[in-house]
Amino acid sequence: MSRMGIQAATTMRELQNKLDLIGHNVANANTTGYKTQMANFSSLLYQNIDNFSDEEANSVGRITPLGIRQGAGAKVGHANNNFTQGALINTERPLDLALTEDRQFFEVAVTENGETETRFTRDGSFYLQPTETGDSALVTSNGHAVLDQFGEAIIITEGFDDVALDASGQVVVQRDGITNTEAAISVVEAIRPQFLEQTGQNLFRLPDVTETGFEAGDIIGQVADVNVAVGRLEGSNVELSTQMTELIQTQRAYQFNARTISMHDQMRGLINQMR
Amino acid sequence: MLRGYYTAASGMRTQQRRQDTLSNNLSNAQTPGFKQDQAMTRSFPELLVKRMGDEAIKTKTNKQLSLSNQVGPLTTGVYVHETLADQTQGTLQETNMTTDMALVNGNMPDEDGALFFTVQNAEGDVRYTRNGNFTVDGEGYLTTNQGYYVLNDAGNPIFTNGENFTVTPEGVLTTNTQQIPLQINYTANHYDLIKDDENLFTLTEEDGDVLGAMENARDALGVTFSVSQGFLEASNVDSGQTMVEMMQAYRLFESNQQVVKAYDKSMEIAVNQIGRLN
Repeated sequence: MSRMGIQAATTMRELQNKLDLIGHNVANANTTGYKTQMANFSSLLYQNIDNFSDEEANSVGRITPLGIRQGAGAKVGHANNNFTQGALINTERPLDLALTEDRQFFEVAVTENGETETRFTRDGSFYLQPTETGDSALVTSNGHAVLDQFGEAIIITEGFDDVALDASGQVVVQRDGITNTEAAISVVEAIRPQFLEQTGQNLFRLPDVTETGFEAGDIIGQVADVNVAVGRLEGSNVELSTQMTELIQTQRAYQFNARTISMHDQMRGLINQMR
Repeated sequence: MLRGYYTAASGMRTQQRRQDTLSNNLSNAQTPGFKQDQAMTRSFPELLVKRMGDEAIKTKTNKQLSLSNQVGPLTTGVYVHETLADQTQGTLQETNMTTDMALVNGNMPDEDGALFFTVQNAEGDVRYTRNGNFTVDGEGYLTTNQGYYVLNDAGNPIFTNGENFTVTPEGVLTTNTQQIPLQINYTANHYDLIKDDENLFTLTEEDGDVLGAMENARDALGVTFSVSQGFLEASNVDSGQTMVEMMQAYRLFESNQQVVKAYDKSMEIAVNQIGRLN
């Protein structure tokens, strides 16, 4: 029984997954606050094939334990997020914030299917959105409300002259010539960031930890000393040169495995043509 | 019976097995820490072939003593004897992830010696690996990318509480609060190890005795190594060479198939022509 076909087909499917990942990274090379996803391969199941029933005859001249070990191809292992700081882009917009430390995030409230969940983002381009009561809410570019340290949406009552953000993440509102700090944007730090999963719209979320036995508090915690850059945005940390190199390597690996399948097919053809 | 039939068939099976090994190597050309397999072939034991009834010697009592002359030894086939793992050091690739580590072989006193990281698989057994693509799980422990705990010198999982740590070239993981040496094991004969799933190596047992021995690399005499953080050890598979060997195996397969076809032609004549009445 030949395993070439199975090995090559399985590996090609996994290589396709890796190509999808690279494509996703390259497409987001200009997205604010995007973190590169990196995946590496791992070999698949090994089986012991005993091709000789006489153990004594089989052990003559051997240096390894009995039997032949055959593998089943390769698969993509865990995809890690690379949380290296991206470059800061100067926009000089008063409501743009950029986080300067790795693994820190802003908190936003996302309502999906009627349920509200707290998600995390590095994208600091904030806007003021008018609410139904005439107040303004601080939201992200996708319209999700930015949360303060108490988990509440930041709402600024109407009648203000100007809203600005300062380097400690505090919302400074000017009314009738007097400036006042009315709220503070929450900044959290992910101590174990690999547990976060990327959802769309520049957001990360913490999956349901109740079944895993982990404590959510051990994974994400509030930052006491907030230091953000105002008027700047954090660019994507995708290195195009690395991604293109990986793309070329993965493509060639895909080709090699396709060659394996055609060779397997030809060998099968030879067997069929014997008579 | 035409013995060559079975010899050629065994040749085809052998090349098929070789192809399976080579294609697995090619599939894993991108896997970090992968060590390529080499299939060793071996001939079946030889048969001594004798020619019967060729010459007869007359005896005193007027009977015939038939001699059988030796034709010579004949091998009756070939088979894949074993697959050996090639423990050559792979090249280092820089990834800049703090959780990636590569083990670099230094001086090893034995020709067949090899060094490994030590991990604990899902059943709690100790396994060995060269794949340094580690990560920190939700509980703060250092694990492989399959979730198996990486062990420290004392044989316990390593608690890092995050990704903020450095690994010295001596293999000591330094966090803010403590220094934990990674367990690096050395074996004098790496052929005792067999490949387990997911880039792991393991020792085998025969009748309750463990074959081969692993010792702590720091205690082993004459063994030096270094651990590079932010790097991964690439697979040691040479795609070009593997492709050439696959083509060679394919052509040998084809040659054996032609031999079978030639025997088939002989049998056809034997069946159809010999003993024909017209």
